Amino acid sequence: MAEYVVVTGASRGLGLAICRDTLASDLSVVALARTYSPELQSLSEAYPDRCHFIEADLADLDALPALCKSIVKRFGRPYGLVNNAAVGHDGVLATMPNGEIDNLMRLNVQSPMLLSKYLLRSMLLNRRGRIVNISSIIAKTGFNGLSVYAASKAALEGFSKSLAREVGKAGITVNCVAPGYMQTDMTGDLQGEKLASIKRRSPLGRLASVEDAAAMVSFLLSDKGSAITGTTMTVDAGSTA
Amino acid sequence: MNIEQTVIRAMRGVAELSDCQLIEPIVPDTLLLQSGLDSLGYAMLVAQLEEELGIDPFTELAIKIYPATFAEFVAIYAQGLEQTRY
Repeated sequence: MAEYVVVTGASRGLGLAICRDTLASDLSVVALARTYSPELQSLSEAYPDRCHFIEADLADLDALPALCKSIVKRFGRPYGLVNNAAVGHDGVLATMPNGEIDNLMRLNVQSPMLLSKYLLRSMLLNRRGRIVNISSIIAKTGFNGLSVYAASKAALEGFSKSLAREVGKAGITVNCVAPGYMQTDMTGDLQGEKLASIKRRSPLGRLASVEDAAAMVSFLLSDKGSAITGTTMTVDAGSTA
Repeated sequence: MNIEQTVIRAMRGVAELSDCQLIEPIVPDTLLLQSGLDSLGYAMLVAQLEEELGIDPFTELAIKIYPATFAEFVAIYAQGLEQTRY
């Protein structure tokens, strides 16, 4: 198989857009998700040799070493990893169930760390590779009802900066992409006046789309992104300007 | 090739790949972090051995403290290989 990128949370929203955009370049994709959505199925059918789906619950941390091992065994050494899978429970902290906090931190923080740990080993041996972690503008701006989610994204940004320093001399770049509000299933509850107000305040008068954010991921994965590491690329139609 | 020889060969390969100068000879008491490999080289060694031997004994045996000497390192791989036989 051609050089490939592992994309998590690939069944819908931004993950699906990242798969689509990555496949449009010369890279292949190993798409991880809990469910094989009809959209991802169509994408696999369009690229039968270059888009492979693997069912995985990434919050099951104990299963991750074996999952990574099986990916490397089946497809060879990965070129890149895009940690996109995340949950975004919203609600005030004072009444958020502890199990929800635990689940969010596992999927949004620990899972990307472990996937990076096990998949970057192959990149070390290749002396090249890319890790892109999907953050959010919320990591820096804050948002009412998203404190735990914001903490998880800020954790990813800190993780990425230090890891970039650790693996830079092996030719591996590590970056975050921080999208603003996008219309995906995750932000589906954001409606009406709140949504209109975010659009109104944005310098470009619109929201960034999943395609906009996916294009930045593709850029970081490409050769053109080879001099960028340890940073966060914001794609928010100017909301945080 | 026994496990000791496999590890030494992998160390040489990794040293070359990461532009490190490996000390010679590597003996059982050689401290891994003074063998010429830096901490990233050490990580590459684990990755290389996982490809060659199909095991990552540190994860599989849930080893909490990484070994200091070459002999301890080899012993953990021997233990890991032993376990995969059963």
